[in-house]
Amino acid sequence: MASAVAAPGHQDRYAGLKRHEVILLFVLIAAVAVLAFRSEQFLTTGNLLNQGRLLVEVGLMALPMTFIIITGGIDLSVGSIMGLCAILLGVFWQKLGLPLGAAIALALVVGALAGFVNGWFITRVGVPPLIMTLATLALYRGLAEGISQARSVRGYPDWFFGLGQGELWGVPTQLWLLLFFFVISAIVLTYTTFGRSLYAIGNNEVAARFSGIPVDGIKIAIYTMSGLMAGLAAWVFVSRVSTTRSDMGTGLELDVITAVVLGGTSIFGGTGTILGTALGVVLIQLLKNGLALSGVKGDGTIVVIGVILILSILVSDLLRRQRGAEH
Amino acid sequence: MKKTLFTLLGLGVLLGSTSAIAQSTWDGGDDLPTAPLACDGTPGAAAAKEYDGAQPTNAPDRAGKQLTLVDIPKLIGIGYFGATSKGMQDAAKELGNVEVTTDGPTKANIDEQITFIDNYITRGVDGILFAANDTVAIAPVLKKALEAGIHVIGYDSNSTPDSREWFINQAEFNGIAKSMIDNIAKEIGEDGSFAIVTSTFTTPNQARWIAEMGAYAAQCYPNMEWLETVEAQEDNILSFNQASTLINKYGEDLDGIFGMTSVATPAAAEAVTQAGMCGKIAVVGLATPNAMRPYVKADCVKSVVLWNPVDLGYAAVYAARAAADGKLKPGSTELEAGKLGKLQVVNGSEILLGPPFVFDKSNIDDFDF
Amino acid sequence: MAATMALPARASAGSRLRRFLFSQEGILLIAIIVLFVAVGAYNQRFLSANNLSTIFLGNAYIAVAAIGMSMVIVSGNIDVSVGSLIGVLATISGTIAVSGWPLWLAWTLPILAGMAISAVSGWLIAYLRVPSIVVTLGMLSILKGGLISVTAGAWINNLPQGYHLAQLRPLGVPMAVWFMIVLTALAAFWMRYSGFGRSIYAVGGNAEAARLAGIDRARTVFIVFVIHGFFAGIAAVLFATQLSVIQSTVPPNLELTVITASVVGGVSILGGTGTVIGSTLAAILIAAIGSSLVFINVSPYWLRAVQGLLILLTVLADLARRRKRARHR
Repeated sequence: MASAVAAPGHQDRYAGLKRHEVILLFVLIAAVAVLAFRSEQFLTTGNLLNQGRLLVEVGLMALPMTFIIITGGIDLSVGSIMGLCAILLGVFWQKLGLPLGAAIALALVVGALAGFVNGWFITRVGVPPLIMTLATLALYRGLAEGISQARSVRGYPDWFFGLGQGELWGVPTQLWLLLFFFVISAIVLTYTTFGRSLYAIGNNEVAARFSGIPVDGIKIAIYTMSGLMAGLAAWVFVSRVSTTRSDMGTGLELDVITAVVLGGTSIFGGTGTILGTALGVVLIQLLKNGLALSGVKGDGTIVVIGVILILSILVSDLLRRQRGAEH
Repeated sequence: MKKTLFTLLGLGVLLGSTSAIAQSTWDGGDDLPTAPLACDGTPGAAAAKEYDGAQPTNAPDRAGKQLTLVDIPKLIGIGYFGATSKGMQDAAKELGNVEVTTDGPTKANIDEQITFIDNYITRGVDGILFAANDTVAIAPVLKKALEAGIHVIGYDSNSTPDSREWFINQAEFNGIAKSMIDNIAKEIGEDGSFAIVTSTFTTPNQARWIAEMGAYAAQCYPNMEWLETVEAQEDNILSFNQASTLINKYGEDLDGIFGMTSVATPAAAEAVTQAGMCGKIAVVGLATPNAMRPYVKADCVKSVVLWNPVDLGYAAVYAARAAADGKLKPGSTELEAGKLGKLQVVNGSEILLGPPFVFDKSNIDDFDF
Repeated sequence: MAATMALPARASAGSRLRRFLFSQEGILLIAIIVLFVAVGAYNQRFLSANNLSTIFLGNAYIAVAAIGMSMVIVSGNIDVSVGSLIGVLATISGTIAVSGWPLWLAWTLPILAGMAISAVSGWLIAYLRVPSIVVTLGMLSILKGGLISVTAGAWINNLPQGYHLAQLRPLGVPMAVWFMIVLTALAAFWMRYSGFGRSIYAVGGNAEAARLAGIDRARTVFIVFVIHGFFAGIAAVLFATQLSVIQSTVPPNLELTVITASVVGGVSILGGTGTVIGSTLAAILIAAIGSSLVFINVSPYWLRAVQGLLILLTVLADLARRRKRARHR
């Protein structure tokens, strides 16, 4: 049913997006080549795997963020949800004395709940997503600070660090987790009715509603998913850095959104792919790493990322319009 | 209409209920035990402690060879770490065989700091100088650096001892606390009241100082009243607003304000100046002399407590050089640090820069940082 | 939604008052009054002239920046780089002042620089049609990184006598507050009654209709960004001249505060509606909330939580009002 709605212009959009990903891939290859030339440590398995470890948190949150932005929404609260879940994980375990496994599970539940609250207000009460998540950006961070009283939680048992610091078959453990969710998300978005409904909502929400798509339910689901993934990211993060603080994940929402947008998902909704997002996440991480290795300082690096963000979108947009004009 | 009323009612209830979660003071909040110094300044007998740092594994022999060091402060782009970085460059120039670059995140963020260190391990440097955003979170990546044979020296804010060789301690927490409280007592009397403006409650050094200040005040000036502590990030205008709000709120009841960061202290002084309360409300705090000079000259601020951050950075580079040359090793009791002379090793693996320094009108012109 | 704007101004005084009270501006005004009365009753010093001055003076630059931001959002765009822009412009202002150039240059050049930088963003957005969030996210990085690599965070001290524009007090009211009031009034009037002002709403509300009405979308958006740069420049000068030192860094989370003021002020993020009076009132409300939390002894840990809740409540009140009006129609 959803495909019927999405059909007009579907072919165009698909081709256009493919273009963006090709461009992004080209940029990525060019960047890797240049960086590898500038620093011999860059293109080594050890370094690349290590970068894989570092990008997992942003990557996990970028997947549902792609879904949300495709529907024309946004979630600014992911960094705060991550902070809240990290704190609760520690508090449940240390202050309430729960087994660590149960504490992790509960923290994930809270993450999902935090996302659900966003989704519920956005759909049932009609608060615009930007405003809702702007409010919860402050609210959830505030809860994290209030609950923890700004104290950090430390002293986790060794097994807990397996996820964030360990390896499985020679690859950082958390990277498997990200790969798993990457594949799932890509399949869901490309091959399921649910995925096609997301595009339909983003293209024309009213039309989607009239064609019988459960718009509200779907939106609540993706915001809940976003919260859950932020919780998962919190777990990975706490396990990686072995401590919990209420200021964790501050400002991460912009990194996540940058990666998604760089990946070609239109902020106006209706277009975007998981592959693009993955390329965006990887490109940013490799740029940060490669520039640092070749002697560019942190402040220079963020300038380069800013320029590449604007240019890549600009170029792919121009190419798409040119192609559109030829038709 | 009902809904609007209901919402406004909710707003009222919310405002009402906030008093239930109200708390007047904040005690520093890091659960670590405090160790206030004796009121009369008798130094506590520090028990000699075994070296508790960690050594790099299979470090190549770097004695006398050119060293490439990288300095990764909590964040770049603030005056304080600009000053430590300057000290490092001074030391590098003096030594002649050391090269230091400063690089780091643009916000005080543990995650980004870890990423920076990780990158430099991959890139391959001889030594890493760091000021930790979080004591524990930074430990795994520093251990990784040690395993790669890199020298690891901390300054300003420590990591866990087993993840670095040495830490340059600018001043003991309880020493800073004593200096701060004693100086404000001189101005507001032993029964005065004070409020504190800090960056965030999660900043470890500030939290430690505040906890120690509370303990020391309770022990030595039991009649002194600690009104409250407010957060102001590392933000000039927010610090100014928060300090002004404290002045407006307490009026006559407020005798002094502590600024806990080099951003908060000048902003608090500015607030007191603009409120026309110079001489009525004392400002004491941690700050750099350049930022405080106008207020000290105008007699609005009597004393500024600080170690010299330029010296701190300077000592860190000397420590790295000495560690690479094998002169500073487990069991050493002092570090030969150029123009600073011999610095004591305390507390196992910490090198003490000296007692905190108090800037006042008579000496502030001697410093430029 | 656009009704507040479009309704003819011929109604009777009574119904006009009622309509005002139920507009976003009215709700904000009521919220501000309720807050001042309630906290003032709890602690009278909250209402002291000094404290009112602190609330207004310390946050006027946010209200000024929110004027330009509101126009940008009304036109259907957004600017997340405004915090970095203000940081850069304030540093430019301070650098000019200490290098011995005439003071009026230190006050005006940052405004021109703001318009120029914002014109670049506006050009990319309007004529090359790159989405505003992309351009301004990029600008955020570029300006912030550029600022740090140039200044290395060195503070600007020893600002010359007479530089501190924001601290002047004509008629006893801080200059920054004059700027806030006058600029808000002018911008509100201009947006409502000038042809160009109305075309901003048209572009943001219904681009197709605007095109049919002969409005040049690209030109409108470009000019909106230049105007936004103008307000950011003034905000930066107020920001820079408020204290004796300039931090020459990007104020943390400033862009979020400015955007919050605009959206709480009733500017719809979807474009097409909202007024700058609302955004200024919202900036005042947010500032007053921050101050009142200190006065009613809320544990500072909960400060951000309470701020978030209040944003939510304001928006909910606005939604309730809109629903009610929709029902009555």
